[in-house]
Amino acid sequence: MHMKKVTLSLVAAAVVTVFTGCDATATKQAHAATPEKMAVAKMAMQPSAPPPLTPLGKAPIPPDNKLTPAKVELGKLLFFDPRVGGDASTGCSTCHEPEQGWAWAEDFSRGYPGTVHWRNSQSIINSAYFPRQFWAGSASSNEKQAKSAAKGGVAGNGEDDIMEARLALIPEYRKRFKEVFGTEWPIIDDVWHAISAFERTMNTTGKYEVPLDKYLKGDKSALSKQQVRGMKLFNGKAGCINCHNGELTTDSDFHNIGVPPNKRWEEDGLAQITFRFEQYAKGQTEEGYRAAKSDWGFYYRSKNKWDKGKFRTAPLRYIAYTAPYMHNGVFYTLEEVIDFYNRGGFDEEGRTTLFTKTKSALIKPLGLNDQEKEDLVAFLEAFSGPEITMEKPEQPPYAPLFTLAELKAAQEAK
Amino acid sequence: MGVRVTTGRTLLAAVLGFGVALSAQAAEYPDIGPLPQLKINKAKAELGKRLFFDKRLSGDAAVACATCHVPEKGYASKEALSPGYPGNGHFRNASSLINVAHRKVWNWDGRIGTNLNDMTREMLTEDYTMNMDMRIMQERVKQDPVYVRMFKDAGYGEPSNGSVRKAIPEYLKTLTSANAPFDTGKMSASAKRGMKLFKGKGGCIQCHNGPMMTDQKAHNTGVPENFDVFMDPMNHQAFIAFTMFQGIPNYMNLKRDPGYYNVTLLDEDMGKFLTPSLRELKYSAPYMHNGMIKTLAGVVDFYNQGGGKDSRKSGLLKPLKLSGKEKKDLVAFLEALSGDPLTSNKHVWKQPYPSEYEAIANWTKVPN
Ligand code: HEC
Ligand code: HEC
Ligand code: HEC
Ligand code: HEC
Repeated sequence: MHMKKVTLSLVAAAVVTVFTGCDATATKQAHAATPEKMAVAKMAMQPSAPPPLTPLGKAPIPPDNKLTPAKVELGKLLFFDPRVGGDASTGCSTCHEPEQGWAWAEDFSRGYPGTVHWRNSQSIINSAYFPRQFWAGSASSNEKQAKSAAKGGVAGNGEDDIMEARLALIPEYRKRFKEVFGTEWPIIDDVWHAISAFERTMNTTGKYEVPLDKYLKGDKSALSKQQVRGMKLFNGKAGCINCHNGELTTDSDFHNIGVPPNKRWEEDGLAQITFRFEQYAKGQTEEGYRAAKSDWGFYYRSKNKWDKGKFRTAPLRYIAYTAPYMHNGVFYTLEEVIDFYNRGGFDEEGRTTLFTKTKSALIKPLGLNDQEKEDLVAFLEAFSGPEITMEKPEQPPYAPLFTLAELKAAQEAK
Repeated sequence: MGVRVTTGRTLLAAVLGFGVALSAQAAEYPDIGPLPQLKINKAKAELGKRLFFDKRLSGDAAVACATCHVPEKGYASKEALSPGYPGNGHFRNASSLINVAHRKVWNWDGRIGTNLNDMTREMLTEDYTMNMDMRIMQERVKQDPVYVRMFKDAGYGEPSNGSVRKAIPEYLKTLTSANAPFDTGKMSASAKRGMKLFKGKGGCIQCHNGPMMTDQKAHNTGVPENFDVFMDPMNHQAFIAFTMFQGIPNYMNLKRDPGYYNVTLLDEDMGKFLTPSLRELKYSAPYMHNGMIKTLAGVVDFYNQGGGKDSRKSGLLKPLKLSGKEKKDLVAFLEALSGDPLTSNKHVWKQPYPSEYEAIANWTKVPN
């Protein structure tokens, strides 16, 4: 499929027809479930206490993409190869830089050349565990995630046909794809399979286990006294456990915690371009496209108005390496994050989400004193173990597919 | 996708006919007179001009239309094989765009037979030409106050990707031959003798006829393959992506440009290419779909020996037995089909583009 070509015809239609179409769907869904009904249903279902934090187990491996050492090795090569993308400059590792927490250390991720992204780059560490990937949970597996990352206009901007053609002209890849997948030529879907296999090995387990998990498994020396105090706050007074809970440190659900819009959208022309493009790309209504002044988050998927400004509860392991924080990178330190929660979801200047109606009732001023804030930060540090580093593999070279003699013979045979 | 391609194929086959050879008699062919005038909307064409030279219309903002269609080269590529979008090469010569609005069928293989709007879209979106997601393009254009004003002045209102694809073709209409000796009646004696040969002994008129000197049909002249298409993986990958997307069988093993076969999938059409216009050749060397012939003298030698080697070669091509003088006269005629270069401000946007996108002021208050 040729994405750009397909989108085009859609775009023209989108401006006039699809926009109204979306409104209609939204109204239909509103009939099915009002916010009040949803809230009541949720309360009824909610267990009395959220699941406690538990150590990270093994990454789930889907039955249709088993891990083998050869597949993981191939996936690693592809993850680091910028030729998996539009102009051979921007691959996965370009925005998921090992030295920057396997993410990108700016508020908005760097974009495809000529663009900037509109969200913070997430770390790929532990991504294998998350059933809903991206800040707003729009991909349901690593495989689907990788595909949309490599093709998205402000990310990889690659097309299937050109990426497949490139790999076919790299002998090392031909050999490895054949070994791993048994095909004569590399096939684009197998690129996503291999990359996902590699990602599933990039976890905070084994020698990268985080102090919190050691502690939870019984090694009481793994946390300092201060961290243990912080843990009590996390599970109690500060209420973090309401959302950051269970094995994954996230309920994998969507909440509006009050993160204010990034001011860069007011000052940076390139960011304004991407902002508007994303409204299109995510299927906004015409009205929404005109009006949007911040990221509507989970709304783009659900099209329910009470999902505006909601994002997936961010997992907390490995965050010591992945600043800045939140979907739009507005906070540069964990101290700022704690201050934000302590104010009940407001930043230093008193700014909060533009969608105050959907803001979670769980987010309210916490009344933490300085000591308690420090304890909580110390505890957050226990979610990260040793830094995961890796030498970047060399890119296997291109080689002509045919010899001059073969070409001459074909010319003669014409 | 399959549906779209098939429909395209049937349509094109109808437009082009199947290149069935007619017997050679000059009188049967549309005369090679002057070109008809085109009506041009000035404001739209001016906008199209700025767009044509603007690199921000490509995915990574590194190539403009003019990167491959170079004004000094008659809006063709100076290389035998066109450059590609960064990270890619190309497998064909970029066609000259002078008089392109007079054509009805486009590309060397004639795969687009609708309009220049579609042709522009193909150039903008194709992976190895400009690789542009047109939704991003639209938002880029909207971010430039000069464009916002120009779109308004041109009557398009708010910039949109649809109007970009209308404005560029309007500009392409301005690229027309001017003051060619053939049109002004100032041909040399040698060129006049060449014209006779062109219509007569040379048999060129069989395919190169009408004011554009093309029947806009596909023929196999036996131009040899350019091996650089396959020996340079940058070019070969673009070729593979192209043939894969077009649904050419066995594309990984293909060692030749399929040409018009791409449109019909009929074996007999393998290696046929659309007859190009012969205007403005002075600027647009090297020649043929793959730039394999460097000079006009070389082209005449090629035809003098009856074209190249191909079992499917057109029956219209025979050794011509032209004398040295006749060959010179024919070249002189071909040269007389070229007019003034289209390299002044009238055709080329020479003002600089902003190096950064200005932020829209008061962003939170104004609608997007
Ligand atoms: C131009 C920068 C860029 C490139 C290139 C890029 N990413 Fe990302 N990645 C991001 C950003 C930004 C996000 C968050 C996007 C969002 O939520 O909309 C993200 C999110 C992710 C996530 C989700 C993690 C989670 O916790 O849900 C994974 C996994 C990931 N990327 C893997 C990849 C892979 C694999 C590739 C290559 C095929 C890739 N990325 C290419 C910037 C990039
Ligand atoms: C109502 C649910 C909820 C509660 C309660 C909550 N969080 Fe969060 N947390 C989230 C969501 C949702 C995000 C992502 C928000 C975004 O990106 O806009 C997040 C993000 C974070 C991040 C940023 C992670 C990253 O990678 O950028 C940190 C750190 C964090 N929370 C820590 C805490 C702490 C500490 C507490 C307790 C004081 C807490 N959270 C309470 C839901 C919650
Ligand atoms: C990267 C190089 C490149 C760029 C950039 C490029 N072109 Fe082309 N163009 C070509 C090549 C090569 C061909 C011949 C393609 C073929 O025959 O398959 C061509 C063919 C054409 C044709 C058909 C000409 C004919 O007589 O059949 C038109 C019209 C055209 N281009 C217009 C444009 C416009 C308008 C732009 C900018 C929006 C543009 N091109 C950008 C390389 C390029
Ligand atoms: C059977 C039809 C046919 C006849 C007869 C014919 N041509 Fe052509 N001509 C073509 C086709 C088709 C091409 C393009 C071939 C390719 O690119 O592979 C072409 C290409 C050319 C070109 C290159 C133009 C460019 O822009 O690259 C020139 C010059 C030319 N012909 C001149 C002549 C002359 C002079 C004669 C007579 C001696 C002649 N042709 C006879 C069909 C014909």
